[in-house]
Amino acid sequence: MDPHRVEAHRRMTRALALCAALVAGAASLPPAAAAQAAPAVLVQAVRAYDDLDLDGAAGLLRRALSIQGAGALAPADADRAMMYLAATEVLREHNDSARAVARRLVVANPRFRPDELVFPPQVLTFYEGVRRATPAVTARAPADTAIRPGAEALAVRLYASTVHDVTATFDRDDGRVLRTLYAGPVGDSLDLHWNGQDSTGTAPPNGRYAITVTSLDRQRRAVRILRLPLEVTQGRVDTLPHPAPPADSLLLPERQSMKPALRAFAPAALAGIAIAVLPSVVANGEDASGARFVVGGTVAVAGLVAFFSHHPGRSIPGNAAHNRTLRDAWRREDTEVARRNAERARGMLGIHAGAPVLITPEAP
Amino acid sequence: MTRAVVIVCATMVAGTSVAAQSKWQVSFGAGGGQEIARSRIGTTRERVSGMVFGGEGTASRGRLIARLRYGQGRVTNDTAGRDVAEGEALLGYKARPWLTVWVGPHARTFVVPGQSDRRWLLWSGRVTARGTLFPGRVTSFVELWQGFTGSLSRPAESVTGGGAEAGLDLRLARRPVWGRLAYRIEQARAGSIGRRETVEAITLTLGFDR
Repeated sequence: MDPHRVEAHRRMTRALALCAALVAGAASLPPAAAAQAAPAVLVQAVRAYDDLDLDGAAGLLRRALSIQGAGALAPADADRAMMYLAATEVLREHNDSARAVARRLVVANPRFRPDELVFPPQVLTFYEGVRRATPAVTARAPADTAIRPGAEALAVRLYASTVHDVTATFDRDDGRVLRTLYAGPVGDSLDLHWNGQDSTGTAPPNGRYAITVTSLDRQRRAVRILRLPLEVTQGRVDTLPHPAPPADSLLLPERQSMKPALRAFAPAALAGIAIAVLPSVVANGEDASGARFVVGGTVAVAGLVAFFSHHPGRSIPGNAAHNRTLRDAWRREDTEVARRNAERARGMLGIHAGAPVLITPEAP
Repeated sequence: MTRAVVIVCATMVAGTSVAAQSKWQVSFGAGGGQEIARSRIGTTRERVSGMVFGGEGTASRGRLIARLRYGQGRVTNDTAGRDVAEGEALLGYKARPWLTVWVGPHARTFVVPGQSDRRWLLWSGRVTARGTLFPGRVTSFVELWQGFTGSLSRPAESVTGGGAEAGLDLRLARRPVWGRLAYRIEQARAGSIGRRETVEAITLTLGFDR
């Protein structure tokens, strides 16, 4: 055989063996690095940032932010991670990347402010510049509330990233504007009030609606739209809680339990069985006298009498009456609550607010 | 029969004085019943039956309990007859309200005229379990015993054996009077000669508590 081919074959064999060993080694390693939870990665990233290992910190921060699902960062940690990433990119002089990250943070949380003791002035200045140039709002509203249209109002608080103009409207689910709630500047925060009526002064029918807040830039162009979904229900608002039905612990058994009867019968049954069976155990091979069944039968009859003397399954009128009284009282109270709720709910509007959704998060 | 009456009376007198002196609870009973004894030596079999009468006394304090029983009678068949006397003296411990363990000797003697007595003696351990059918009135019981050592007097041999008793105890309301209907079976074996004595009895006992 050609000596070159032999040598090549040997090298190929070695290379394959080395690859197999590497694959096996990688498979046997604990999956810590790959499956590490985002909070732990964030801790490593912050340590790398503090050690001025900026390339390492940037990689770790991006990895922490990319982890989804159960191991993902909590919202506050995600804000912190984005701020560290923006600072890292500023210090690495990757200004475009830093601006994109900072803008993403401003949009996600307009109220976020970096810690002045942690980040250097150049980072703080950079973030402040991005924040001022990125008009955005977020909204907070009570999840469930009820108002009397025209007399009361749903309060929605807006928080802004910077001073800018907004328009706020009450819309149908398909986007048609039913009423303009506000048009003007917003500073740090602003309370919007919707009194439960559309522009014609009537309460909207049951359905899905939204409060839409549009942030405008200096040229009055819409740069960001926030929708707060609302579900409106007329006249079906339970303001008084319904009473709970009587607890099982308060109810008495309405029928005699089988347990005491069985407990009384069991010893007799065991003794009767013992009388029938024991001769073959104690004196195997002997023909035991049939007279023992007289005793066994007597014991069994006594057991049956004891069983039926407990009246298993028989109703207990006193307990049934006690339970009936409890249930009737509960029904009366429940009916009264329903009546009072119906009275109160007449003309009321129930409002359920969902989580706000940013429709144009990537706008410049 | 005279001996049975004397022993029962002596037990009652002793028990009464014990009860009068301390917190002992004492109970006496007397009764009788049909007894069937089967003997087997190799392929030879004999069956005799008859009435046996006797008495018993128990004394208990706390968890400790002592029991004495004695019975005497005559068992016969068409061709033969013999007197029988039997007794036991047991010391017990109430491990649970429903469970008592016992230890003590148990003896039975057959007397045939013209021959020396044949006595079976067994030291046994016992367990009695009780269950209530009507609280304070009616209880059922099962007692199992096993002899751990014993002897036969003629021919002199070591023996083994075991037995069981089950039945019903009844007590009258507000009266210290009780009655018992029981079925008992026991068997003693002498190994080398293949002798086996099996005794069955149905007994009715009436008693009172002090």
